[in-house]
Amino acid sequence: MKIIIKHFSYYVVAAMLFSTTLTSCKEDSIGEVDDIPGLGGIDWVKGPIDQWIKDSLVTPYNISAQYKWDQFEFGNITKNLVPPDETQVVPLLSTIKKAWTNPYVEEAGKVFYNKYSPKFFILSGSNEYNSEGSITLGTAEGGRKVILYGVNLFKIKGMTGYDPGRDSSFVKDWFLHTIHHEFGHILHQTVLYPVEYKNISKSYYQGGNWINWNDADARRDGFITAYSSSAFDEDFVEMIAMMLTEGKVGFDKLVDSIPEGTSSHGVTKAQAQAALRQKEAIIVAYYKNTWKIDFYSLQKRVRTSMNKLF
Amino acid sequence: MKRSFLYLLFLTTVFFSCENSDDKVFEESADVRLNAALASYEKQLVEAPYGWNAVVYPGGGGSYGFYFKFDNKNRVTMLSDFSDAAAAKSKESSYRLSALQTPVLVFDTYSYLHVLADPDEDVNNGVRGEGLKSDFEFSIFPDSVKTDVITLVGRKNQSRLVLTKASQAQATAYANGDMAKGLAFNNIAKYQPYFKRVTLGANTYEITVNQTTRSIKLTWLNGSTPKTFTTSYYFTPAGLAFVSPLVNGSQTITGFSNITWNATTTQVGLSGGGANGTIVSAIKPISVDLAAARRWWQSPIESGGDWRSATGFHVNGVDDAFKVADLKSGESIFAFYIYQPGASSRNDLFAPIFYDGKNIFLDYGHAPATPTFTADGRAIFTDAGRYGTLPTSGPAIESAKLLYDASGFYLIQTSDETYDMVSAKDAKSWITWQ
Repeated sequence: MKIIIKHFSYYVVAAMLFSTTLTSCKEDSIGEVDDIPGLGGIDWVKGPIDQWIKDSLVTPYNISAQYKWDQFEFGNITKNLVPPDETQVVPLLSTIKKAWTNPYVEEAGKVFYNKYSPKFFILSGSNEYNSEGSITLGTAEGGRKVILYGVNLFKIKGMTGYDPGRDSSFVKDWFLHTIHHEFGHILHQTVLYPVEYKNISKSYYQGGNWINWNDADARRDGFITAYSSSAFDEDFVEMIAMMLTEGKVGFDKLVDSIPEGTSSHGVTKAQAQAALRQKEAIIVAYYKNTWKIDFYSLQKRVRTSMNKLF
Repeated sequence: MKRSFLYLLFLTTVFFSCENSDDKVFEESADVRLNAALASYEKQLVEAPYGWNAVVYPGGGGSYGFYFKFDNKNRVTMLSDFSDAAAAKSKESSYRLSALQTPVLVFDTYSYLHVLADPDEDVNNGVRGEGLKSDFEFSIFPDSVKTDVITLVGRKNQSRLVLTKASQAQATAYANGDMAKGLAFNNIAKYQPYFKRVTLGANTYEITVNQTTRSIKLTWLNGSTPKTFTTSYYFTPAGLAFVSPLVNGSQTITGFSNITWNATTTQVGLSGGGANGTIVSAIKPISVDLAAARRWWQSPIESGGDWRSATGFHVNGVDDAFKVADLKSGESIFAFYIYQPGASSRNDLFAPIFYDGKNIFLDYGHAPATPTFTADGRAIFTDAGRYGTLPTSGPAIESAKLLYDASGFYLIQTSDETYDMVSAKDAKSWITWQ
């Protein structure tokens, strides 16, 4: 028995060597590679919008903005979305440029901005509707890619059907808030904010339950928005987004608007206001110490540019 | 024996591994063939000299007419029958041919086509998050491409897009706004009475149009036997086209042409089946479903359910004419109007139902007697009491007053579980029960 196996294995080895030798005589080269359709991204005959994006975003800031539909740029392929209307693309991107890019570039310089800004903007014409009834405004992936939804609903001064009452807050709370929010994430993911920030409202964070709170209730607990109360990081970037898009005056007004009495979690008006002011102070110091940015000056630039849009 | 068999086995292995032939089933690689296919599809789209007539059949039902003109710079110009504006004014957007799992025609910036697919329900009266379940990415299959017809299937919602090569005359007609003229048919919604009829040649048809689902129902009498025919429709430069034609004896109707709207007489004129006609209103159905009223009353008793209406009565062209949706009970809001047959052994219940954020409840209401079912198919309601303390005036009182109208109501079954209850007095008031 043993012998047979032994013999057998000799043959196997011999045969293997034999066949290996022969096959290795066959020489394969990669040869000519065909033009693979879609390799290197989608391709089309460029038009004026593409030229604008190239001149205004790609060349100066190495930021690309994709407005043509590509399903696979969107995380959840089961959602029904539509691409942007071409007439919306330049107004939206130039608004973001004015109220986000320019203030940061003027305040912190092009090197800082080009190093940390997300590089891919993906635009969806419609909102993303979620099954529980909420709407997704924007998403960011890895500090590189930002998806903005609802582009077809965007309206600023000078566009047909612009209604200042409705549209100015829409653009502020929707697009500009989203982009400042996501950029805040990139900053703190690069250099974390001081740990004291997490202690300010430590016992009042809601986690996923934030969706059941409104902003006014959240403010009574010392959070600037309901979403702030979901997690430390969200609180931090919501503060940045709210302070920048509301401006100093608007932000002070929100803090002052907290009513007398105590919240359902037992936070008094004075405690809630103090919490918001401490968070503000830490953010201002964080911008100064970490990024050499004067936050109040940045805030002023953002608001000034926004005032021109609405 | 065994050993030689083994040698033989090795020998064959060796021969096989020596074989160096590279036979291909196809002469060219997959990529080359795919590129060629994409190029040929694009060429076909672009080289149709007068563009393409198109019909979209969304996954959610219905049918919509379009006109496409493609150029070789990834641009497409469109008209659509979705609205008067879209039928009259062309819009340019972009398209491309892409290789996904199959070759795909993608309309990659917003156009009239995307209006149907838009998940914003305000855009198309569809479902929030879904729209009308239409598409803007369409798979091309080898058998979908013929010289003059291209049939494509949507990738997400399986809607269908059928392109038919347009003639020079059609292209001119689109440019002249002929499709927009056909949309005058939509004025049929302005007729106040519920029932509309048109006589074409020897036949009189009752027309029931649902503009939301793009369906049209024709009812006629064959002797004394009622016949019905239902189809989807869309608009073309020639007028309104039926997705499937009606064949009624010697008359075949494929759609309506020469559509006109006379704002003075508020009447739609049209041609169809080789004859001209005018849509006129009627105060009763062309064929009364004599058993419908009793069936409507009986079915909730058997199933244990009730009839509900979200908007109350439509009167003289006004939805929710009595504004029942604005009713309140304390802080609680209006939920729906109810008709509960057999609420007690003596009477039914006709009342607004309120919602307090957790539960629905009855505050007050009318108690009609069991309706009288007349031999000509009407239900007549009479006052037999009340529930709770009725307000002295307002939507509930107005609604009951109309319900107790002595002429009574026809019950029109619109689906398995829905009825329209139409005033027999003038057919200008009705309520939809579901």
